[in-house]
Amino acid sequence: MITPDVLTDYIRKSMPDAVVSVMDRTGTMNHLKVSVVSAAFQGKNLLDRHRMIYQALDAPMKDGRIHALELTAKTQDEHEM
Amino acid sequence: MAEPIEEEIQKEVKAHKILIYGKGTKQMPMCGFTRETMQFFDKYGYPYELIDVLSQPAKREALTKITNWPTLPKVFIDGTFYGDTDILDPMAAKGEIEPLLKKAFGK
Repeated sequence: MITPDVLTDYIRKSMPDAVVSVMDRTGTMNHLKVSVVSAAFQGKNLLDRHRMIYQALDAPMKDGRIHALELTAKTQDEHEM
Repeated sequence: MAEPIEEEIQKEVKAHKILIYGKGTKQMPMCGFTRETMQFFDKYGYPYELIDVLSQPAKREALTKITNWPTLPKVFIDGTFYGDTDILDPMAAKGEIEPLLKKAFGK
């Protein structure tokens, strides 16, 4: 189980400007739909963007606080489109 | 000399135009995302292979290292790694999947 703020802190450690929204998919707060908006994604393909998020969340994934993730990763202007 | 497991993976990736490494089997997928990925490809009507790596932890570990992708399922199309439906869905929305599969199956 992980709270949105703790998850956001992990992401902001590597993407300080990130705007993060977390949706609990199964009511157990460990199958999460996470959307991240950050300039760090600029010029990166989707695979690498998701790799960046997985790396930022490596610890809570390894210790089981997060079981499954559904990710979206956009830059600010993609988010506003 | 590449690890035997890595060689086995390379052979599997070459042998199947659409290859899903996931949890469980076609008859009994053990994870929602594996089922979701199978349903994704069912829409296009091309054959795909599902290899269960729940029962093969060493291969699962090797795959994570090779692809630098920590989760399952892992999808390969025509020998190239595409992550999972988080990647495939946006590609499908942009109409990129159909031509990719047509090319893979040489239509």
